[in-house]
Amino acid sequence: MPKPEFVYTTYIETTPEKLWHALTDGDFTERYWFGARLRSEWKVGSSFEMVRSDGTVSDAGKVVECDPPRRLAYTFVNQSDKYRNEFPALATFVLEPHGKLVKLTLTHEGFVEGSKFLEGISKGWPAILSSLKSLLETGQPLEIPYAALKLDS
Amino acid sequence: MSKPEFVYTTYIETSAEKLWQALTEGDFTERYWFGHRVITSDWRAGSTYRFAKQGTPTIEGEVLISDPPRRLAYTWDPCSTEAKRERTSRVTFDLEPRGKVIKLTVTHDELDEGGKTFRDISGGWPMVIASLKSILETGHELTFDAPSVAQKEKTDA
Repeated sequence: MPKPEFVYTTYIETTPEKLWHALTDGDFTERYWFGARLRSEWKVGSSFEMVRSDGTVSDAGKVVECDPPRRLAYTFVNQSDKYRNEFPALATFVLEPHGKLVKLTLTHEGFVEGSKFLEGISKGWPAILSSLKSLLETGQPLEIPYAALKLDS
Repeated sequence: MSKPEFVYTTYIETSAEKLWQALTEGDFTERYWFGHRVITSDWRAGSTYRFAKQGTPTIEGEVLISDPPRRLAYTWDPCSTEAKRERTSRVTFDLEPRGKVIKLTVTHDELDEGGKTFRDISGGWPMVIASLKSILETGHELTFDAPSVAQKEKTDA
């Protein structure tokens, strides 16, 4: 059996510093992350939260690695009852300069077998990272209807 | 054991028609697909197609499904000697409108376990699709530096 994980690579015309900022600044993430602000002190061991526009926390975990502008890793799990049997899984972002581009590789791992959370994030990440690439390259995020992700199906 | 397949999804601000054109016109593919022109007499099921870089064939195959602007599928047969020993794989593009954007899903399957093609396309598709998204959204393709292109050349060789 392949291990339960999600891996996604993309290339963005930007700098590692700008991409790092885009991944860690709440004002910035709010624009491309379906309105979610990331909140953390970005130190190893500090808490990590995704905050909805109404101020409630949708997902929570801890920062595991923080090496700007190269590697960022944190755990999180959605706080809804749907995922109450799941543990925070580890998302690692690796930023590598490639000439005028940055190669961004996300590995999300540590899910329980048959994880519903893995199903959810597998639909969410391509949309979030596509919008992030658009925002950095064009100045505008994508308008992807959240319902289009079909997270409940 | 799941068979080896590679699935990659992205969202692009464009129309399904433009994206279809970008996938099927040689002048377009040459710009974002690192110099690879796609050549075919038409895009009908049963027709053959070929990718060529500066006249040298790199990939060839047969059109399996052509349902513009929704679904395109073709067989994938690298022209290199090493990959020739592997079975012919299959690529399917699904284009789905989602509000103002198109969800593009590329599925590459019927691959050999641990084969060269699987290795190559796993690295290649994210580069090609990232460049395709950029050209459609910004008007210009991505410029990869020499080592990345060299790696991509290996992919296609």
